[in-house]
Order: sequence, then structure tokens, then C-alpha cells
Amino acid sequence: MRKGSIIQLAAIALVAAAICVAVALAIPWLPTPAGKEAQRIDFVFWFTTAIAIGVFAVVVAVITYSVWKFRAGPDDDSDGPPIHGHTTVEIVWTAIPAVLVTAISIVSAIVLAQNSNAGSNPVKVSVLARQFAWSFTYSNGKTLGYLEVPVNRKVELDITSDDVIHSFWVPQLGQKQDAVPGAHNKLVITPIKLGTFPVVCTELCGLGHSLMRSHIDIVKQSDFASFMKSGGTTTGPPGLAVFQKNGCASCHTLKDASATGTIGPDLDKLKQYATQAHRGSLAAFIKESIVNPGAYVQSGYQNIMPPTFGQQLSPNDLNDLVQYLAGQAK
Amino acid sequence: MTTSAHTAEIEHAHVEAQPPRGWHRLTAPGWLRVLWTTPLGFGVGVGLSVLIRWAAHWHPLFRGQVITTVELTTTPLGFLVGLGGFDYWAHYASGKATRPEDHSGHGARSWRDYFRVNTDHKVIGIQYVVTTIIFFMVGGLMAMLFRAELARPGDQFFNPQTFNVLVSEHAALMIFLFIIPAFAGLGNFVIPLMLGAADMAFPRLNALSFWLLPIAGTMIVGGMITPGGGPSAGWTAYAPLSVHQPLGQVFFNMGVQWAGASSIMTALNFLVTIITMRAPGMTFWRMPLLVWANFTTSLLVVIATPFIAGSQFFVMFDRVLHTNFFEFQNGGYVLGYQHIFWFYSHPAVYIMMLPGFGIISEVIAVMSRKPVFGYRLMALSLMAILVLGFSVWAHHMFVAGMAGWLRVPMMVTSMVIAVPTGIKIFSWLATMWEGRIRFTTPMLFSLGFLSMFVIGGLSGIYLASVPIDIHASDTYFIVAHIHYVLFGGSVFTIFAGIYYWFPKMTGRMYSERLGKLHFWLTFIGFNLTFFPMHYIGLQGMPRRVANYAPRFADINLFISIASFGLGASTLVFLYNMIRSWRYGEAAAPNPWRALTLEWQVSSPPPIFNFDEIPQVVGNPYEYGVPGAKHAIFGAPLPEPVGAD
Repeated sequence: MRKGSIIQLAAIALVAAAICVAVALAIPWLPTPAGKEAQRIDFVFWFTTAIAIGVFAVVVAVITYSVWKFRAGPDDDSDGPPIHGHTTVEIVWTAIPAVLVTAISIVSAIVLAQNSNAGSNPVKVSVLARQFAWSFTYSNGKTLGYLEVPVNRKVELDITSDDVIHSFWVPQLGQKQDAVPGAHNKLVITPIKLGTFPVVCTELCGLGHSLMRSHIDIVKQSDFASFMKSGGTTTGPPGLAVFQKNGCASCHTLKDASATGTIGPDLDKLKQYATQAHRGSLAAFIKESIVNPGAYVQSGYQNIMPPTFGQQLSPNDLNDLVQYLAGQAK
Repeated sequence: MTTSAHTAEIEHAHVEAQPPRGWHRLTAPGWLRVLWTTPLGFGVGVGLSVLIRWAAHWHPLFRGQVITTVELTTTPLGFLVGLGGFDYWAHYASGKATRPEDHSGHGARSWRDYFRVNTDHKVIGIQYVVTTIIFFMVGGLMAMLFRAELARPGDQFFNPQTFNVLVSEHAALMIFLFIIPAFAGLGNFVIPLMLGAADMAFPRLNALSFWLLPIAGTMIVGGMITPGGGPSAGWTAYAPLSVHQPLGQVFFNMGVQWAGASSIMTALNFLVTIITMRAPGMTFWRMPLLVWANFTTSLLVVIATPFIAGSQFFVMFDRVLHTNFFEFQNGGYVLGYQHIFWFYSHPAVYIMMLPGFGIISEVIAVMSRKPVFGYRLMALSLMAILVLGFSVWAHHMFVAGMAGWLRVPMMVTSMVIAVPTGIKIFSWLATMWEGRIRFTTPMLFSLGFLSMFVIGGLSGIYLASVPIDIHASDTYFIVAHIHYVLFGGSVFTIFAGIYYWFPKMTGRMYSERLGKLHFWLTFIGFNLTFFPMHYIGLQGMPRRVANYAPRFADINLFISIASFGLGASTLVFLYNMIRSWRYGEAAAPNPWRALTLEWQVSSPPPIFNFDEIPQVVGNPYEYGVPGAKHAIFGAPLPEPVGAD
């Protein structure tokens, strides 16, 4: 290889690398981290990106140079030089990638260990996923359709599912964990930024998969402390407890229960729906809609509510829930 | 048996090869017999199911799901019997006289010969390639449909059920009915020629493996129109979701079995052919790299494919027999499905990649007029990928909640695969270095493959790193990665292979102008479609969703428009293929001036490939070496060793 060709090749590689760096920096590839884990993931991401850009630039440079310099003319029937290999070169390009991936592996393993460490006293929240809603239960017995956590404290989520596999993900926190029926998987998050972020289900879980969304509220530690104190057993009609325990709030809006879900019909409008539906008394309509949700689907909504609540709820709970919802309908 | 009797029998066979007349047409192998054996197979299935339920006092006697499952086995068998897939073996098994030298089912004299059980590997290769391209079109069309849905957030054209079906069908068709069998088809045509053999080792098995493919495809596509809706649990069909899907899922379960059986039979055939049917002088270290690639791929197929068969059988048993493999309430192990599934489906990534590596090695060496750089290391790196490929499956399960200690070892093995893959990439670059490169269409697709596959490989490094994978898994970043690997990788190599061997397969040249147009449209459309997916995935868009956050609206619209362009580019390919096959100018035996054996015979090759058995005397890529030869014809053959 001539000295001139090495310089030209290096120049192309540098240009390619510069373009890649510009693309890497100009576009905000990752969400702004709202948690310590996401910050560490960002570090691994950019560490890997630096290496990837280097490799890519070299490959692109060789291809570009070859296309430019080694093009055969239309009438050129000659062959290239019969080079069969070069042991030193082959050892080098076996060794260098091996070193690079070892470096990435070590960094990744360290970050994984840090990101999985729940510390000595995390806030513990139980997460239950079911088609197609999330519910979050706290140590004081409170159950919400969304997740509320304090800033700057480690939180350990205990994630499980009732039916099929779901997956809990908050893009800004970087952490993700499948909710597997029959298993309790742990996930550690350490929020560092106040605000509200989406909770997304990332494992195909059925018809309502793309609507299986909730949110996480990251609040001040003092607010979280009062939230925990105010909790305990839910006061109010027994149906409200059933409503909250079963995650109805994830999909439905109901003022009395502070539920704001929009995936399913607005339960404050039940009376209006019942009139449109013509399916017997208000209570009968509500019961049918829980046990056999496909019987009547309110226009503007999809038939995605799991038909399994009839078996999941005890007859008493079902009655309480129907009474409560009917009582709320105005 | 005396020689004269033998000869008489061959003549007898020629007399019998006359087309049957009258009622005999209904009993002779062919489509008329299919017309009554297929319903017969259906009836046998229903009868079996009802009879057993009646004998065991199970009620109701007619259960749709049970009957469907049985009947998806017996109806295709009826079809295969009708077409004549088992005639020879049935003769043999029943003790009737067989005719070892009967070649009536060999070769194609008219287009009709492509629609029967044909034992000629060249016909089978073309049957494979054409069939898989049809499924490629169907699968691509499904992608266009759900990209139309994804052009805007919210609901546009399809309800969630239809959307999930389209996504699942797209992936299942592209993987099981296009990429894997397309390589089997190209290999079928080329490998016996490259080895200097007259055909595959088991031509009748070869014919049968092909005919399982339309069955599998019809089943998977047919699942879409079953009552209750088609298979909609994704191509990965994770349990327990797939256990509770409508009836269409059974069609998916069984379709995968048929496609898998086809794969395994072809792989066995390749292995035996490559091990036992090499021409004199063709040592393993003189085999073209395409043969090496198919050798390693076939090992992967025969070892790994039974695992996906197992995973689908277990899901089916959970549905039909009320077993509890994956039903957690009754002690089932939910993650067991994923472990079994990925123990096949990760090696399957290499099943979809290694034959492409082989094609690229052929094209780059020939078009650069240089020997493959580091030939032995190229072959050994294939073997390294084969071995490592079995130790990385759980990197698909980093967020699945499997045993925590498994994550780091699986990360390390996944990373290490970058080393043999890197060797291959760098060796191809070194092969081009100082070559005399001809930018023909296959070469353009090879260069496209090189650059795109590097991107796919590098994004694979991100996904091998556990912390990044935890963020990126099940998002559009994964969608981008698999398309850079399977489209930028596999599909580009399939195109390279089809253009490269088109003159040999059809005896005609394709239009170079249209080929280049096809390449550039595909290359640009591909990047515009899939590159932005990296971004939306990392930003927070999960895969397999019909609805998404409004902030991703513009970029999804862009992707959808680009994907329509990518889809349209395929029409250029189709037009070129169909037109050139009919009207293209006649191809010379060796238009690329290649050294490998398939180019040393006429285009298309003679019916039994070689009029004279070639004698292999050197390496297959000795371009630039004065007077070098890969094989000579007409030399006195050496005494066979150990032939007694």
C-alpha cells in the first residue's frame, strides 16, 4: 500500500466520522434522562456510539475508496493481483474488535450491576399489569392507576401480571421489565427530575396493547410523605374499593374516584350511554358491560375490554361495583 | 439382476412415461388426483377426530379447534399423495418393482413441469425462488397496509385485531416463507453444480421439501380468514397470549411446522450432498464459500429447527389437549416458551444470514477479479458463528425476568459474535482492495449489503449491551435493527444472488439498466424507511402498536411514504425478471468469467449438469493467478478410493 493511498483513505475516514459525529450530536437520540439509571444507560450508549462510529467510518472509507480507485474500465478484462491473505492483518482485525467488544462488555456489566442495585431502603411499589391497564399498590394499601414516586429516592417495583406478558417501560427512566404472569420481577428506578412521564406497555399483549398506557408522577419527597400518610384503607362505598383494586381507573374516567383514564368510555356518562344502548335497567346494563363487555360497545370506543372480569370478581364485589357505578351515574 | 434385464427395465420405463389417458388420469400423480385426494385427506382428518372422541365418550363430538388441528395435518398429506410426492416410496415399501434409473420426473421441458413433483434440483431451485418471491410480495403488501395505518396516530383503516394480524403475518411470511426458503432455493440450484454433482443426494426428498412450502404458506396466509380472526400474537407468538388467541393461531402453529419440516429435509439433503457428492479433487478446502456457508447453515437448521417445532407443539397442546406447559395458574412455566423459541430463533438469524455471506463471497471475488482474502479464515469464521450462535439465545430475554445471572454471560457471547462477523466484513473489503471492480447489479447489491449490514451489526452491539437493551428492547429501535440485518443483510444478498445466477438459471441476461435502477431505488427507499426508526424507538415508541403518541406523527408519515417507495421499487425488479426471462438476450455459459463449476457448463445447464465429470485441481477463486484452474474436464479420472 502506497503512502499516498493511506493518506487519502484516512481523509475519507475522517470525513465519514465527522459526518457521523454531526448526525449523532445534531439529533436528540435519547430522551432527556429523568432518572439515575437512564443517565448511566446514556453513558453506555455514547461509549458504544464512539466505537461504532470509528468502525463504521473505516468500513465506509474502504468502500468509498475502492469504488473510486479500483473501478475497472469498460474494456478492461484484466484481473487484480492474486493476494490470498495476510496473516498479520488478519490477526489485527480479529484482535481489535475483540478488544473493543470486551471494553463495551465490561462497561455494560458495571452499569447493569449499578442499575439493578435497590440499595438498603427503597420505596416499594407492587405493579400489577393486566389487559390493558396498570395498577400500582403501595405499602399502605393504596392502589392507583398511575405511579407516584418521590424524587431522589430509590424505588423498587415488584412487577407481575394477571393474564399475559406485558412490559413496564418509562422511556425517560430508561428502565424496562416484563410483567410475567406467575412471576415477580424486580425493577429499580431512581427518579431525579420532577414531572410527569408516560408509562408504556412494550410487549404485545392483545387488542388493546397500543392503548395500554399510564403515567408516572415524580413528586417532592415531602409531597410523597403526605401522600403515603393520607393513604390507608379507602373510605367511602365498598364499590369504590373494588373499582380501585381492579385498575378500572387505568382506562375509565370517573370523577368520584379521581379516575382520568380515556381508553374506555367515560363512566360519568353512564346514564347517557344506557339510554343509547337500550339494554334494560341501568344496573343491568352496567353489569352486562362488565361481565360481557362486547355485548354493547359505546360508539367512539373499541371492543378491547377483557371479558374476564366476570370470573375475576366475586359476586359480592361485582354487586358492590355495579351499585357504586349506578349511584355515581347522574 | 443382470445387465440386460436392467436395460430392458429402463426401456419399459420409457414406454410407461407416456401420459395417462381416460380414467387413468385420475389415478396418475398430478393435479387431477389432487382434486380428490385433498378432500379425502380432509375427510380422514374429520373422521379420525370424531371417531376417537366417540370411542372415548368425549363431548361434543365435533370440536372445531381439534378437527382443525388434525385436518391441518391430513389435508396437506392428501394433497402431497395426490401430487405424487410419495409414489416412489409407496412402490418401494409395498415391495413392487422400483426403477432406480427412471428419470421421467427429472427436468423441465415445458412450464407444466414446474407444477409437478420434479426431482431435478435446477427445477426445484427455480420453483423455490419463484414461490418465495410470491410470498415476498404478499408479505410486503401487508407491510404497506399497516404502514398506511401508521401514517397517522389513532385509527385509520384497520381495527387492532386486523393490525396485529398484518404485523404477525408480515414477519411470519418474510422469515419462514421468504428469506429462509429463498436461500434454500438458490442453494438448491447452485450447490450440486458447484460441487460437480449430477443432482442432490436425495432428489425425491428434495421435491417433497419444496412442495411442503406452498402448503406452509397457504396455511399461514389462510389463517387470516379463519373465524375469530387470524394469528395476531406476533411472529414470536409468545405464550400465554398465543394460547388464548382465536383459531387462526392454530394455522400459524401448523404452518410453522410444515415450513420447518421443509427446512430440515432440505438441510439434511444439503449436508449429505456436500459430504458425499463432491467431484474428484473437491476437498473441503477447495469448496466455494457458498458451499461452506450452506454447510454450516444446514447444521444450524438440523440442530435448531426442532426447537421451534417443540415450542409450537406445546402451544398447540395447551390449546387442544389442555396441557399446561405455559399456563401459570396450573404450574406452567411462562418463560419456558421464550427459552425454547429463541433457542431456534436466534440461530435462525444466522440461518438467514450465512447463505447470504456465501453469496457475497462469490460475487465480490468474481466482480473484483481477486481471490477471496483469507479463504480459510472465512470458512472458519462461519463455523465459529455456528458454534457461538447456540450460546446467545437469551439476549432476546434481557427484560423477560429470566435468571439474573444469565444476562452477563449471554451479553459476552453475543458480543463475541462480532469478532467472526468482523473478520468476514474486513476480508470482503480486503478482497475488493486493488481489485478490478465491475459494478454490475449483483456487485451493487453486495456493496449495499456490506454497508447496511455493518449498520445492522453495530446496532446489534448496542442491543447486546444489557443496559442499552433494557431501554431499547421491544421498541422501534429493534424494528430498525432487524430490518438492517434481515433486509439490508439477507434480502440484499438474495437480490445479489438472483441477479448473479439469473443467466445460469434462465439462460438469458437480465437488463443491467433496470437492475441498477432497482438497486438504487431499493437502497434509498430502504434507508429512508428504516433509519428514522432508530430514533423513534429510542425516544419512546414501542413496536407492534396501531396507535402512538402524537409527537411521532410526522416522522411516521415520512416513514410510511418512504416505505411505499421501497415497495414500488420491487415492481422494477419483477418487471426486469419477467421481461428478461422471456425476451432477454441469450446468456453465455460464463458471462462473469467465474472459475466455480456452475459457470463451466452451458446456460441453462444440461439436464444432468455435467456431460463429463469435472476433476477439481485447485482453489475456486484463483483470479489473477496465471494459468490457474479450479477444475479440468476430460481428464482421466483417478481410481476411486475405497469404492468396493
